[in-house]
Amino acid sequence: MDITVVDRSATLGDSLLHRAAPASKLAASGLIVATVVVTSDPLIMASVAFALVGASAMLRLPLRSMLPLALYPAIFAFIFAFAAANGPVTTALIVLKAVTAALAMVMLVFTTPYPQVFAAVQRVTPVIVGDALLLTYRSLFILAEKFSDLSRAVRLRAGVSARQPLRSARATTRALGGLLLYAFDLSQRDYDILRLRGYDGGLRVSPQRSSAPGVDAAAIGFGLAALMLAIVFRALPLPGYSWIPGLAGALALGAGLIIGRNHTTKQRGAR
Amino acid sequence: MTNPSHNHVRCLNAGAEEIVRISCVRHTYEDGTMVHLCGLDFVAHRGERVAVLGPNGSGKTTMLFHVLGLMRPEEGSVSVFGVRPADEWPRIRRWVGVVLQNVDEQLLAPTVFDDVAFSPRQYGLPEPEAASKAHAALEMLDIAHLATRVPHNLSGGEKRKVALAGALAMEPELLVLDEPFEGLDPVSRTSLLDLLGRLSAERGMTTILSTHDIDTVPEFADYAYVLAPGGRIAVSGTPEEIFSSADVLARGNIKPPVLAELFARLRDRDASAPSPALSVPEAVEAILKWRGAGD
Amino acid sequence: MSHLHIPDGVLPVWLWLAGWALTAALVWLASRKLTTTDARRSVPLIGVVSALVLVAMSSEIVPLAYHINLTVLAGVLLGPWAGVISAFIVVLALALLGHGGITVVGLNALVIATEMALGWALVRGGARVIRRAKLGRVAAAATVLTLALTTTMVVGIVALGGTAAMSRETGALDPETLQFNNPFTGGVLSIGLLAGGEHADAADAAGETAGSAGAADAEPTLAVGRFAAVVYTLGPLGWLLEALVTGAIVGYIGRVRPSLLFGGADWRPRLPGDEHGRR
Repeated sequence: MDITVVDRSATLGDSLLHRAAPASKLAASGLIVATVVVTSDPLIMASVAFALVGASAMLRLPLRSMLPLALYPAIFAFIFAFAAANGPVTTALIVLKAVTAALAMVMLVFTTPYPQVFAAVQRVTPVIVGDALLLTYRSLFILAEKFSDLSRAVRLRAGVSARQPLRSARATTRALGGLLLYAFDLSQRDYDILRLRGYDGGLRVSPQRSSAPGVDAAAIGFGLAALMLAIVFRALPLPGYSWIPGLAGALALGAGLIIGRNHTTKQRGAR
Repeated sequence: MTNPSHNHVRCLNAGAEEIVRISCVRHTYEDGTMVHLCGLDFVAHRGERVAVLGPNGSGKTTMLFHVLGLMRPEEGSVSVFGVRPADEWPRIRRWVGVVLQNVDEQLLAPTVFDDVAFSPRQYGLPEPEAASKAHAALEMLDIAHLATRVPHNLSGGEKRKVALAGALAMEPELLVLDEPFEGLDPVSRTSLLDLLGRLSAERGMTTILSTHDIDTVPEFADYAYVLAPGGRIAVSGTPEEIFSSADVLARGNIKPPVLAELFARLRDRDASAPSPALSVPEAVEAILKWRGAGD
Repeated sequence: MSHLHIPDGVLPVWLWLAGWALTAALVWLASRKLTTTDARRSVPLIGVVSALVLVAMSSEIVPLAYHINLTVLAGVLLGPWAGVISAFIVVLALALLGHGGITVVGLNALVIATEMALGWALVRGGARVIRRAKLGRVAAAATVLTLALTTTMVVGIVALGGTAAMSRETGALDPETLQFNNPFTGGVLSIGLLAGGEHADAADAAGETAGSAGAADAEPTLAVGRFAAVVYTLGPLGWLLEALVTGAIVGYIGRVRPSLLFGGADWRPRLPGDEHGRR
C-alpha cells in the first residue's frame, strides 16, 4: 500500500476525472457506497463494479496501481464470508460489495488530492481534527522518505536481503525505532513552526474548482443511476432480470478497455 | 575591529534603531552540550544585513533560535524589537519572517499557495487580502507558476523559495534565515541575494542569516559575526575588515572567500599587490590598476 | 490492529450508523479535552503519530504481506484523548484507500481508539510496577493483551450484527432457490431500505416465497462461532508479531529516550503567551 503512488496520481494526473470538482467526486463515491449498502443482488453489484473499472480504463487511470488496492479487501471479505458460513452466491455478494466500495474510494483518491478530500471532512469536524488530518498528510511524505532512507541504511549496514525474513524483520524494526524518534522530534519542530508562523487554528485548503462540469454531472449521474438500480432491484420482485444490468456492466467494462487502449495506441502513434 | 568608528557601515547605522541584541547568552541542550554566545554582543540595526558565520556546532542555529524565542536563555539577555522574544513572542511575531534550515518541515499546507497564504490567514486577514499578499510574495520570488503545486513534489530549491515567500508574505521588518543558500543553484542564489538587497534598501528590512557559504557574505552582508566552537563570538566587522586580515581569519578559524584568498596570496608573493577586493568587478579594477602601475 | 475488515453493506445500517454516532461523540469530546492544552502541541503530535502508523502499515515487516500497525505504541505516545482523534484519522485514511469499508469507519475507529487507550493504560501502568529495564517486555505483553481484547471486541460487533444483510427476511438472495425475497412484504415503511437485523415472521416469509423450500428453516444466523474461530486462529500470529515489534521498539526508546514514554506530550517548558494557542 504505497500512499505516495496514490498521491502522485492525484496531484500530477490529468484525466477528465482529475478536472472534476472534489465535491462531485465525493458525492458520486457516496452514492456508490450507498448502492453497496442497499443492494442484495450480486449481479447488480458486479455490474456497478464492471462499469467503474470500464470508466477507469476509458479515462486511462492507472489501473495497474488501482486494482490491487481495490481487490485487497476481497481477501478479508472472503474470509468473513467463509467464516459467516454463507453459500457461494452470498459469498460472491459480500466479496463484490467489498471490491465495489473499494473501487469507488480508490477512484476518488487516485483523482483527487487528499487535502481536497480532507477539506470536506474539515467542514464537519472540530478544528483540531481537520488540522491534524492535514498535518498527517504532510507528515506522511516526510516520514515515508525518512523511513526509506533509514531502512536502506540499516539493511546495507546489516547486510540483509529480502530472502532473510528474520534479519529483515529485525532491520525493519530498528528502522521503525529510529523513525519513531525522528517523528517525535519532527512534531516538536512542527510546534516551533506553528508558533513562529502564528498558527491559531484552522489550516485552510483552497477549494479546487471544476474545469469539466460535464464530468461532474456524469459522475453524480452514474452514482444516482447505480443507486436507483439497486433500490429497484431490491424493492421489486425482479430476480430473473438482474442479468441485464450485469451484462450491461460487462459491456461497459469491455467498451472502456477498448476505448482506453485505442486512445493509448493513438497517443503512442502520434509520438 | 569592533569599534564602530572603524566601521563605516555601522557609522551609517549608528543612528539606526537597534532591532536585535544578544548579550552573553548561555543554553544547555538535553545531551549536556553547552553553547555560550559570549565574547561580543550580537547586534542588528534596522535595515542592516547581518551574517552569522561559524563552523558546525558553533551555535549559529542556537543564536537564531534565541532571536526567534524558541529558546529561553539560561543566562544573559536577548532583545528583539525591545522585548524578550521567549516571553513575548506573540507581540512581535507579526513582524518577523523566518526560513529555517530544513524547509521540508517548514512547509505545512497542502499547496504552495495555501502555504504562502498561511500566515496572512492565521493573522485573521480577510481572504482577498490574504490572497493578494500571497500572490505578491509568489511574484516576488518568481514562483507564481508553482501556486497550485503540492510542496512535497517540489525540488529542494523550489521548496526553499516557497518557504521564503511564506516568510515575506506578511512584509516583515526582520527576516531570519538559517542557511538560506543551501540547495540553491548559482542563478537562484544570485537572485536571492539581489532580492534581499532590494528589501533592505526599499523597505528597511533587517536581515539576519547564518551561512557556510563564505563567498556570499561579501555580496550580502553589511556586517558579520564569526562564532567559534562553543558559541564564543570571536570576531565581528564588515566583510572587508574580516576577510582582509589574516589575524582575524585565524582568530575566527574561517576560510576566506576565494577573492580574498587570491589577494592574500598575491600579497604574500608581492607586497605591492592591491588590498583585497571582495567583488569580481572591484577585483578586476584593482588587478588591472596594479598591473598598469607595474608596467 | 484489529481492523474490522468487513465490507460495506454487510453489517446492519443501525450498527454502523451507531458506530459513526459514537465515534463522532468521542471525537468531539476529545477535541474539547485537547483544546484546553495548546493545540500547537497536540495537532502536530497527532498528525505525526498518525502518519507514523500509516507508514508502518505500508511497510512489510516480513516479506509476506503482514504489515505492522504500531497502534499500541501510538497510544502510549498520544494518550487516550489524542488517540481517539488519531484513530479516526488513521481509519479514515485507510478507508479512502479501500482498506476497510467507509461505512464501518465509525466502528473501526472505536476499535482502534480502544486499542490505543488500552495500550497506553497497560504500558504506563506496567511501567510503574516493573523495572524500566524490562519495559520492552511490558510493552509486548500489553500488546498481546490489548489485541486479544480488541479482537474480542470485533467479534462482539459482528455478533451484534446478527443476521443482517444475509437475512432472507431482509430481501437477501436465497442461495437454494436463487430468488430474492421482497423486503416490503409488510409495506414500504415497515422495513424499507434501512432493514438490517430485523426478522420478518418466518411464516410470512414462507407464504411470500413460492417454492422456497428453505424458508421454513430457522433464519440464517451469522455463524459467529465460526467467525470467532477463524479470527482467533489467524489472530494470535499477528498479535505475536505486533508484540515482538512493539516490545523491541519500546525497549529501544526506553533506553535512549525514556522521557518520550514517561514524560507525556508535555515535552517542552511552556512559554508565556502560549496558553490555549492564543496570540
